[in-house]
Parts: sequence; structure tokens; C-alpha cells
Amino acid sequence: MAVARSRVLDLMKVQCRIFNTTFNPDRLRTGNKILRQRLRGPTLAQYYPRRVVTIGDLRKAYPDYEVWDEKEEERLEHVGMLKAKGKGPPKKKKTAEESKKFAGKKKR
Amino acid sequence: MAQFRAKKLDLGCFVNARVIRDHTKRKVFEQFEPQRQALRYIIRNTTLPQRTRAQAQLQLSQMHCYTNPTQIKNRCIMGGKGRWVIRDFRMARYQFRLNALEGNIPGVKKASW
Repeated sequence: MAVARSRVLDLMKVQCRIFNTTFNPDRLRTGNKILRQRLRGPTLAQYYPRRVVTIGDLRKAYPDYEVWDEKEEERLEHVGMLKAKGKGPPKKKKTAEESKKFAGKKKR
Repeated sequence: MAQFRAKKLDLGCFVNARVIRDHTKRKVFEQFEPQRQALRYIIRNTTLPQRTRAQAQLQLSQMHCYTNPTQIKNRCIMGGKGRWVIRDFRMARYQFRLNALEGNIPGVKKASW
């Protein structure tokens, strides 16, 4: 049994009203699928973990208090040991003459 | 590009130039996404005049490449690597293995059968 087109169109209209979609009986390409898409930006921008408060920040915020930084202390101890052994960084050269002292010797 | 990069670094993971670049691209894309979608809508809408649609096409293609989602690439948050990154853990395969064996990733354990 054939149903009249106008009846079908009425049904579609009601359907669109109930489910909150656009009524488009001619099936024109109105680009509505773009408008229906969700924005992906916020999830994509969350990918990398953000900076959290570090010990350096704490020190800067409360300069009066002493904050124990284990890693930094370890590093300083290591550097101190190297210096004691005489393996520290070389002294900064003050004059141009001093810095050129070994310049000629490297050629072979 | 430098004009988009944040003045102060806000990343807490492994950082190298490529990670910073990717992060910048993500933020730029987030900022320009509505505009891009609006242009895309105009382009796809066949009921609008042809001239408007062509103009929108031109405008979309002339936007900066950092606003393009295809520029974004998932990178390892532990080592900055760009290949073999497991999306669920955001880590490359080797970092995933190291962290899984150490027990840093909840619910992951080594299997053998």
C-alpha cells in the first residue's frame, strides 16, 4: 500500500522536530555535518602534562625559609668532590694572551 | 613558529624543540578551530553562492599551517620520540617497557604464556 508523499514528509517533519535535526527533504548538501562535529581542540591541547610547582619555585616564593633540595645538594657534593681532586672546570682566562697560550700547540 | 610560541614554558614532561613545537601547534589549533570549522561549513554548504564558497576555500587554504590539525603528531612524553608512540600511555615503546617493568603504569604487567 503506497503512502502519499505529503504524509511521509509530515512524518519526517515531526521526526526532525522531536530529535532536533534539520528538516531537509530535498537532501541538499548544507554542510550541517560540520556544525554537528564536536570541537577537538581542547582534548588535543591536553596531551602533554603541564608544569607543576618545583622546588625552585618554592624557594622563590618563600625566600626566608630553607627548602631542602636533595638533587641539587647531591650535585653540589659531586662537584665539590671533583674540585677537591683537581678535576674541576678550568679558570676563566682574563687576558687575550692567557687564552692564546695553547692555541699554537695543537697543530700536528 | 615563534609568533605562536608561549613566552613561558608550561610543560611538565620531557622537553625538546620538537615537543615544544608540537605543543604550540596543539594550542594554535585549539584557538583557531572554530574559525576553521566555520570556513569548512561555508565550503560544504551548496546553498550558498559559489563566489562565497570559493572565497572561503581560499581563506582556509591561506590560514597558517599551525592551525591545521594534520600538523599535530603524538609524541612520547618521557623521551620526545615521534615514532611507535602508544596512544593510551602517550609513551614510545621503550619508555613504555621501562615504566611498565618498574611498575609506574597502573594495570600493566608483564605476561608470558
